[in-house]
Amino acid sequence: MNRSGKPVAIVGAGLAGLTAATMLRRHGILVRVFKAGKYIAGLARSERDADGFTYDFGAHFITNRLAAAVGCSTECRDMPRYGETVWLRGRTYSYPFGLMRSPRFVLSALATKAKALLRRRPPATAADWYRAQYGTKLANDVAIPITEAWSGAPAEELAASVGEKFATSLPRTLMLKAAARITGRTVAIGYCGTLPESPHVWHVYPEGGVGAICERLADEVREDIRTELPVEAILVENDHAVGVRVAGQVIEAAAVISTAPVHVLAKLVRGTDRLAPLARFRYRPMVFVNLRIAGPSGLPDVVNWTPGPDFPFFRLSDIGAGLPWLVPPGMSQVTADIGCQVGDEIWSMADEDLGRLCANKMERIVPKLSARYLGCRVMRTPLAYPVYRSEYEDDRRGFVAGTGVGGLLSVGRNGEFMHILMEDVFWRTRRKVLELIESLGGESS
Amino acid sequence: MPPATESPAADSGLRLVPVLCCLCGVEDVDPVGVGEDFEYRTSRDTFLAIRCRRCGLVFLNPRPADDEAGRIYPDHYHAFDFQPVAFGFVYRVRHRLEARRLLGWCRGLPPDARILDVGCGDGFHLRLLRDCGQPGWTYEGVDSDARAVAGAGKAGIKVHHGKVEELGRSADSYHLVLMIMTIEHLADPVGVLREVRRLLVPGGRVVIVTDNAASPDFRIFGGRHWGGYHFPRHFHLFNRGTLAKLAAAADLNVERIITPFSPVNWVYSIRNWLDDWGAPRLLVNRFSLKSAPALAFFTLFDLPLALLGRGAILRGTFRRPSADAEVAK
Repeated sequence: MNRSGKPVAIVGAGLAGLTAATMLRRHGILVRVFKAGKYIAGLARSERDADGFTYDFGAHFITNRLAAAVGCSTECRDMPRYGETVWLRGRTYSYPFGLMRSPRFVLSALATKAKALLRRRPPATAADWYRAQYGTKLANDVAIPITEAWSGAPAEELAASVGEKFATSLPRTLMLKAAARITGRTVAIGYCGTLPESPHVWHVYPEGGVGAICERLADEVREDIRTELPVEAILVENDHAVGVRVAGQVIEAAAVISTAPVHVLAKLVRGTDRLAPLARFRYRPMVFVNLRIAGPSGLPDVVNWTPGPDFPFFRLSDIGAGLPWLVPPGMSQVTADIGCQVGDEIWSMADEDLGRLCANKMERIVPKLSARYLGCRVMRTPLAYPVYRSEYEDDRRGFVAGTGVGGLLSVGRNGEFMHILMEDVFWRTRRKVLELIESLGGESS
Repeated sequence: MPPATESPAADSGLRLVPVLCCLCGVEDVDPVGVGEDFEYRTSRDTFLAIRCRRCGLVFLNPRPADDEAGRIYPDHYHAFDFQPVAFGFVYRVRHRLEARRLLGWCRGLPPDARILDVGCGDGFHLRLLRDCGQPGWTYEGVDSDARAVAGAGKAGIKVHHGKVEELGRSADSYHLVLMIMTIEHLADPVGVLREVRRLLVPGGRVVIVTDNAASPDFRIFGGRHWGGYHFPRHFHLFNRGTLAKLAAAADLNVERIITPFSPVNWVYSIRNWLDDWGAPRLLVNRFSLKSAPALAFFTLFDLPLALLGRGAILRGTFRRPSADAEVAK
């Protein structure tokens, strides 16, 4: 029990909020989890329709390691298949080795590396980073168009740190690919930045959707969760979080953990202007068009990148190929990801029009697809990706070190303003919360 | 402990509970290994071994709840009935080696010494002592599994069924306590060791033998296939430092911690690896406790490592401080 006897208030009951809550409870600290909506699981929520199709906000496959950590491995199945391709000028390249076999890209990459030997300077923008890392041709043809599609900003206006997530080691990737081939498992490559990659860590997915992880965590703290109670304000005094206001009532708290998007957090906080710079941070809205298709999708692999102006979407994910139990037998489900702005033409387009648009455009890759198109389900989120604009990069780097307010943590994909996936969210949240526990003097023995 | 039954449907998951580091009281950890019950396949669960960032203790988290013991220790579990018929030549070699080791630990015991084996399994070590020890010594065992107790009973060894905390013995009852391949199975090693200390006469010793989580076999196979994990039955895995810390938590003095050689974790690690990666059964079966060539090879392999202090198992000898030392305290 922490010395004050007051609970730690947690804003949000997604993976990050529930991970924080269980961590605190295990160490003997009172918690109160406030959830604006009716259901837990946040971004990890899945929905199933009457025809047997399951829909996610993006396919959040996890790893056997995360499933084991949460204790829900028996609810998970191994992903039978995972691979990525890039569609370029009418051809499919497997990622990354197919691209690396193209002389055009290899020569350009070698030339870039040679030039870098003579003149080395740190990249100033995401565009610079990609060109220095991959060579001008691969950066211009693939990396930059994809980044611009998901971020909605020119790569020249994005910070170089956008690329850091994609920095990989070639020998390690080769080793992991070889292990995947030998074991027949979908070894996770480039999925988790917090923990080491290993041949023993592969992709799995809970049968009923990835919300199962949140349900398992919620089992530990069920009585501490208050649903349909949005937090209206986070109260700060003398640069220390002291409570939250919920339904007009002030609830004192030993500390506050927020999972809200950071520009929302900036508005929630009262009593300090330390978080004011976060109001400028932007997330890229996204529309996910889930196409139902009779028969196999015809796409070359599970995840297929489609850079450039030929397509409205920048990525096509064959859900049935990677996660067959989410799709009825004999059917396919393809998710087309389209970056947009809230209220723009894509965002406002009728669902059926979006479905038709995507099916028609997909015909460049899969001929005559439209004849097998059965319908679609569209999901829209204003908060798909954090956008690292150079204009607030200094503030963002400062925010990585902490909120600047004592007893106030901001965790999770939205709360950290980071392009991180579920295993990173889980372990990063635990580490941050552990530091909080120490500052509260809440270690049990 | 419920009576032995057929193991329930292997496809339903075990009831798992989260735990903190038993030495530090916090959950400040890094994952180190992820794996399944490769040897007995008692459930479909995947288990996570984690390392405490503060003390280095490796432990299972979450781990099976106490009431799952009947399921994770199936009837054919090897500690319950290690019979010469089944294990033949290997049994005879183990018999001779262990007898020498055991008598070494008994040096200096009085003629009427009382010896307790905690987690004695089928009573293998007590039988050895009965056959080779001094006539005035008395032996008792305790094991929390009824099947183990029955196995020991067949061999004419007195074994209490239950936990050492439930023995009901007064303080200062034993001169020597053995915990051979036991401590790693316990949910509360600190609590049990404190009770063992209470049962020891002042100056009495406890010998703990357990897997070494700082050995080369752990470094090579620790990501998944390490035999020492014995998923999900080994709840805590120690190295020299954490074993000493455990003893300190129970107020015992460290007399000596060494790393004897052992082929077992090498053999099981390779077996688990081959089995998991789909090697032919014929090859997998070359690596088992019944395979004399594999055991012989890895005995020779681990010998030099043991001499360098990197052997596959740990043996700690701890002493309850003498009466004088306790008064001085």
